[in-house]
Amino acid sequence: MSAAEVTFTRVRKAFGDAVAVKGLDLSIRPGEFVSLLGPSGCGKTTTLRMLAGLEFPTSGEISIGGRVVNDVAPGKRDIAMVFQSYALYPHMTVGENIAYPLKKQGMAKAERATHVARIAAMLKLEALLDRKPRQLSGGQQQRVALGRALVRSPKVFLLDEPLSNLDAKLRAHMRAELIELHRTLGRTFVYVTHDQLEAMTMSDRIAVMEGGELRQFAPPREVYDRPANLFVAGFIGTPPMNTLPGSFADGVYTHPAITVRFAVTGAGSKVVLGVRPEDVLIGQGPYRATVRVVEPTGHETIVMLDAGGSPLTARTPAESTLNPGDVVSFALRAERLHLFDATSEARLDARAMSVEESV
Amino acid sequence: MKRIAFNLMAWTIVLVTAFPLIWMVITSVKPQFELFRIPPTFWPEEITFEHYRRLLWETPFLLFMRNSLILSFSTTVLVVGVATLGAHSLVRFRYPGRERLAQLVLFTYLLPSVVLILPLYLMMVWLGVANSLLSLVIAYTSFALPYALWLLRSFMQGIPDDLESAALVDGATRMEAFFDVILPQALPGIISTSLFTFILSWNEYLYALVLVNTDSARPLTTGVMSMLVSSFNIEWSLLMAASVMMSVPLIIIFAVLQKYLTRGFGAGGVKG
Ligand SMILES: Nc1ncnc2c1ncn2[C@@H]1O[C@H](COP(=O)(O)OP(=O)(O)O)[C@@H](O)[C@H]1O
Ligand SMILES: [Mg+2]
Repeated sequence: MSAAEVTFTRVRKAFGDAVAVKGLDLSIRPGEFVSLLGPSGCGKTTTLRMLAGLEFPTSGEISIGGRVVNDVAPGKRDIAMVFQSYALYPHMTVGENIAYPLKKQGMAKAERATHVARIAAMLKLEALLDRKPRQLSGGQQQRVALGRALVRSPKVFLLDEPLSNLDAKLRAHMRAELIELHRTLGRTFVYVTHDQLEAMTMSDRIAVMEGGELRQFAPPREVYDRPANLFVAGFIGTPPMNTLPGSFADGVYTHPAITVRFAVTGAGSKVVLGVRPEDVLIGQGPYRATVRVVEPTGHETIVMLDAGGSPLTARTPAESTLNPGDVVSFALRAERLHLFDATSEARLDARAMSVEESV
Repeated sequence: MKRIAFNLMAWTIVLVTAFPLIWMVITSVKPQFELFRIPPTFWPEEITFEHYRRLLWETPFLLFMRNSLILSFSTTVLVVGVATLGAHSLVRFRYPGRERLAQLVLFTYLLPSVVLILPLYLMMVWLGVANSLLSLVIAYTSFALPYALWLLRSFMQGIPDDLESAALVDGATRMEAFFDVILPQALPGIISTSLFTFILSWNEYLYALVLVNTDSARPLTTGVMSMLVSSFNIEWSLLMAASVMMSVPLIIIFAVLQKYLTRGFGAGGVKG
């Protein structure tokens, strides 16, 4: 009874002609908190449901704790799942909902009651045990769904966008609770979300998915600092990373407004430069751009520029006094630039040598 | 003022609708000689239960009643049992031709029953069950099942998939998930479908008339008609008493099930 590792080996899932998951290889360590992150429809839920045993993989192998579970029924996988819709049993009380997994294990009634009481105390549900789910608020329903998953102490927890139906304040609170829960339980968590903030704040590692494929599997910091490809670069971060297509020759990246010298091997002639908005430094520098839109958010100001015909977003301090139409100088933080191959969209292992005067 | 007018109108409609029923009850307790009096009396001058006594002890009425109860209960249990499982399958399982099958089921419902009587009769003869209650159970099932299937299908479509998935993850087998989660959710639908099927079987006349011609297998509808209505004479008092007693089981069933019909609709712990 402890955490278990989870492995997907070349797992594919097709619904008729539509392929939801295309050959997924993923290895999750025991006790790890892993988020499956990606836009809606990228196959996150399908992946989770296959792990739960609710969908059969078209091909490939899934194992939990070293045991191949392809042919194991959901109830026999020693997992628990929290559904996006909560899926509380409407005709049962809160207490009965939480006790249901224990009942299916054949646990005696008295023993079930002690477990339910323990979970209720932990999630502050004591006063609600005799209510029906429809008499609860969204946040309370969410805690009941969590309680029903926790009561069996399974090896792996599966959570499918559990916070997406809560309001912003409650969501922040529950994020903290889940982190705490994961820390105290030490179990493996597989967490599905399309919200990068949730993935970044909670996970040990993030599996970024797109169109049924894994794009990157790495710790949050690395996903942010070293995105493996253009998709991850554009998906993670708000506002998203600027991507500037340009040409590349003799180690020099050239764009109508920007020129950078890189130390790189194996780059083609068409590349894309990636710049995070916080790495665009407005004020002085070798490059020129025109201010298009200024968006004060309170603690900072987002400035949208036109740099040689390409849109470029910059984060500036809140006290910025720029106005649309202004022509500004800017520099780029050389050590934080990213370079991608324009055709394969993959990250190039490049290091910027110098940020050069624009021609 | 508007309220009073509205109430007045509502009560008028109720009275107009209920009048034949009231007249039925009153006639059944009037002595025979009072029936054809001119001008007719509304309130009986004398109340008698003579007709009920004669109906119960001197006619095969109780036999017909027994037949009708067996027939309607069997049909309801069979139809609702099969339709519940069938609807669950049509909603939950993915198999080739599922949609086509559902449409085909509705198609059978579109055929007029008169067209089906003779083929059905011949099939009953071939099966060796002609002229029995079983033949009526089969015949009623043939037209009640498609409708019941559709009714329950739309009910079950309203039950979120996630509920069943949650039960499976929580350790239930497919059967347990069906009985623990799906069935309680579908209960209002199952009850209204049962009610519909029961009333359909209870009031059915045409098939009973054609498929059965012995008293031992006659239900109330055709039994009472053949017993009390002849070309020479209609036994009005007995007919009215029989009609009152035919309504009693329906009234009881409605009274018992009413609270289930309104309860549980729109309930659910599922959001989003
Ligand atoms: N039961 C299903 N039948 C057919 N297509 C499905 C089914 N479930 C999911 N899909 C398809 O698979 C793709 C991935 O879906 P899903 O895993 O739910 O995405 P996500 O959870 O990332 O939003 C989508 O294109 C969706 O339409
Ligand atoms: Mg999803």
